Amino acid sequence: MTAFEETLTGMTRPGVPELKHQALLAQAISKGRSKSVLSLWWMSIPLYVTAMLLMKSAYMRNTTLMSNLHEFIGREKYAAALFFLIAPAVFIIINAASIRRIHYLSGGPGPAALLRRAWFNAAVIIVSVTIIIIYFS
Amino acid sequence: MKLHWFKRAGIFFVPISLPGWLILAAGAAWAVYAFIDVDSRSHSVSDTLMNFVFSLLIIGAVYSLVAYLTGGSGSAREKDGPDSTGGS
Repeated sequence: MTAFEETLTGMTRPGVPELKHQALLAQAISKGRSKSVLSLWWMSIPLYVTAMLLMKSAYMRNTTLMSNLHEFIGREKYAAALFFLIAPAVFIIINAASIRRIHYLSGGPGPAALLRRAWFNAAVIIVSVTIIIIYFS
Repeated sequence: MKLHWFKRAGIFFVPISLPGWLILAAGAAWAVYAFIDVDSRSHSVSDTLMNFVFSLLIIGAVYSLVAYLTGGSGSAREKDGPDSTGGS
């Protein structure tokens, strides 16, 4: 009888400590954070330029932030397009894809639960949209 | 082939292999050269710092892009389990 019980225990389905989709979700969150960190580094450049131009407009009384921005965009066409338009657009797409994947793997949670997992990606998207608005204003 | 030259720690990518350290050293050398170059053309300390920080941000952005593409997509704490609260 004891041998039979041992055999039965040995035949029992092995326990699964965590579900497969949980590992996928953890991986998606980790990759999403790495993407948002990469985006943050690239977003820091236009933010720094904007801050410098804001300081310039504060110290030079006859200029404004917008006039300084337009002057910068006219003087540095390609760099301005890269840092104020192309990079933010690319990072909006990348971070939106990350949020979509996290949303899918989380089983379609509500906005609050989703933001708790991917708030950094959402913040990067908001900053990117702001930079694009600055570029076109 | 998946490379594992870097791991992410917060907002930084830390090298975990020899090629990663070489890339970090190249970035640091570039930063030193940028500082010397900017300093030779600037008229004041603030002028040097403002232009050097801009160069430093560009170096950081390029370094982070290289680090991300060469295996920095996983965090240092990934093996310990996910932190579902988000953020970095």
